Amino acid sequence: MHSPQQYLAAQAAPANGGAHLPSVGRREPALQAIGITKNFGSLEVLKGVSMELYRGEITAVVGDNGAGKSTFMKVLSGEHAPTGGQLCVNGKEVLLRSTQDAQTFGIETVYQDLALAPDLSVAENVFLGRELKAPGWRGRIGMLDRPQMLAESTRILTELGAKLKSYRATTQSLSGGQRQGVAIARAIKWARHAILMDEPTAALGTRQRDMVYEAIRAAAQRNLAVLLISHDLPQVLALADRIVVMRQGVAIANLVPAEVTVRDVVDVMLGAKPT
Amino acid sequence: MNKLAYDDGSTWFYRLRETTAFWMFLILLGLVALFSLISPHHAFLSVNNFFNIALNASQLVLLAVGMTFLLGAKEFDLSVGSNIVLASILAAKTITALAGTPDEVAVGDYPHLGLAVAVGVVVALGSGALFGLVNGLLVTTLRLSSFLVTLATTAIGLGMALVLTHGANVPDIPRALQTDFATYRLFDLVPLPVLLSLALVMLLWFVLAQTRFGVHTLALGSSVDAARRAGINHKLHLLKLFALMGVLCGVAALLDISRFATTNIGGHQTDNLQAVAAAVIGGTSLFGGMASVQGTLVGSLIPVVLGTGLVIMGLDSFYQLILVGLIVIAAVYIDQRNRQTRF
Ligand SMILES: Nc1ncnc2c1ncn2[C@@H]1O[C@H](COP(=O)(O)OP(=O)(O)OP(=O)(O)O)[C@@H](O)[C@H]1O
Ligand SMILES: [Mg+2]
Repeated sequence: MHSPQQYLAAQAAPANGGAHLPSVGRREPALQAIGITKNFGSLEVLKGVSMELYRGEITAVVGDNGAGKSTFMKVLSGEHAPTGGQLCVNGKEVLLRSTQDAQTFGIETVYQDLALAPDLSVAENVFLGRELKAPGWRGRIGMLDRPQMLAESTRILTELGAKLKSYRATTQSLSGGQRQGVAIARAIKWARHAILMDEPTAALGTRQRDMVYEAIRAAAQRNLAVLLISHDLPQVLALADRIVVMRQGVAIANLVPAEVTVRDVVDVMLGAKPT
Repeated sequence: MNKLAYDDGSTWFYRLRETTAFWMFLILLGLVALFSLISPHHAFLSVNNFFNIALNASQLVLLAVGMTFLLGAKEFDLSVGSNIVLASILAAKTITALAGTPDEVAVGDYPHLGLAVAVGVVVALGSGALFGLVNGLLVTTLRLSSFLVTLATTAIGLGMALVLTHGANVPDIPRALQTDFATYRLFDLVPLPVLLSLALVMLLWFVLAQTRFGVHTLALGSSVDAARRAGINHKLHLLKLFALMGVLCGVAALLDISRFATTNIGGHQTDNLQAVAAAVIGGTSLFGGMASVQGTLVGSLIPVVLGTGLVIMGLDSFYQLILVGLIVIAAVYIDQRNRQTRF
């Protein structure tokens, strides 16, 4: 078991993208869950879920309402402590006691809402809680490096294809899709291994969804493992590399999008089809 | 209202024009010009008068800046007046007790003045900070609204002050505090309290506008959940903010007993509202997430300029209250409108 501090010390934090070439042959999952169980009181919500998330891959998790998708994701993001089971990052077992722990291990989460501070600027939000200090004496007296924060936010969001009028503008002045774009940009900026997203497009219109899907693809292209919870099955089929179906707290199927139709997925989700 | 385009070549002036602080600054200049022109013999227009105004604003601005931080974090402190009264009583009692024997003190002889004042300063700041910390602890641990908590501690603090003094102000505060500090003018011009307040205001401007602490303060006021998820320890941060407000109350208490050489048990009941008004006039939002120390500085000066100007013109200074009220309404209206149409 590694504490975040030990882990960081052992890990010369690799930058996003580029650095990790997926090794040919036996790949190691960036994030691996083994037999995760979670009880709320006497309610067994997760009954032993195992899952691997690989770099550069989008893994979609689908399932009926109440199947336990969000709960599972919250275990991965450090929000819930699992009742049982193990989590491994890059093959090493880790203990996540908080979302901050998960962040230390390079796992970032995009929340459907409550993610951004509406009165803060795009740059301030991207760097919230991890602000850059100015170089030299100005940093030593606590001064922020606002130009650098602005430049980096601008760069990431431009790469994601978000066309923002101003990166100094407050996020409440943005459209819903742009806001979600900022949230994903923040996750991409800080994630070293995995990004978790729970229905990131649920509150958005069609055009805005497309923007967000583009950003999700961009995250995978940066060699991050992406976990995407979504009810939008056609999109999931178009976007994901693998589909994990959950039902009643169990991961019951592992599907390859190219081989199935929406109908098939729904059948598995609802238990109409043996797996 | 999608006309803002900071990143494509708009000037700093363009951005400045969008702030309430800027417009209130113009109003302040306008008031100064108006009073300078129409006051008899242009009595208003003198360096001395300006420093008097600054001196009269030096206590309010400290409270208002503390309130600016709290409002930025969507919190509130109604208890600043009671905090000041309690801190000034404890400091005054300490100073008069330590400065000499009761007989010496009664005849204005203070053999241990330096020590007494030093301890008095510590007591005032400590009492202020403790009062603020208690507010913060009640807010964070009981999860009560700061409005209600500080309403309660207003009563408790004043009650404690009255119990300690039986309702009588502390007499025999050394005049030296007045002559050597509160009314002492550097280069025969700048009152020391003004320098002290200005230094604190500049420091706190830096903290709010340029540091992590400032960003986190506004993040909390903007969305507690976003702040928490970004790893900001919101309870600890709130404690710091309430303690900061408390320390500023302690400083204001020291200014108070130094300037007037007496405590003022009955005199601070509306300090809280004045501080909120000054912050709001300067563009700090009542809804959290938006705060401006420079705006608060302007907002603290406007009421004092109005009061002084009216007196110099021979008008009843009570009009000041009415005018300040109207300006607050204008500022709150702008705030509300900005909420709806910002960008
Ligand atoms: N904090 C909690 N305390 C008690 N029960 C909970 C808690 N969180 C989730 N549950 C229960 O766990 C079950 C799974 O919930 P979860 O939110 O993980 O489902 P989901 O698959 O995300 O569903 P949806 O598609 O509706 O988002 C539900 O029955 C829910 O009521
Ligand atoms: Mg869910």
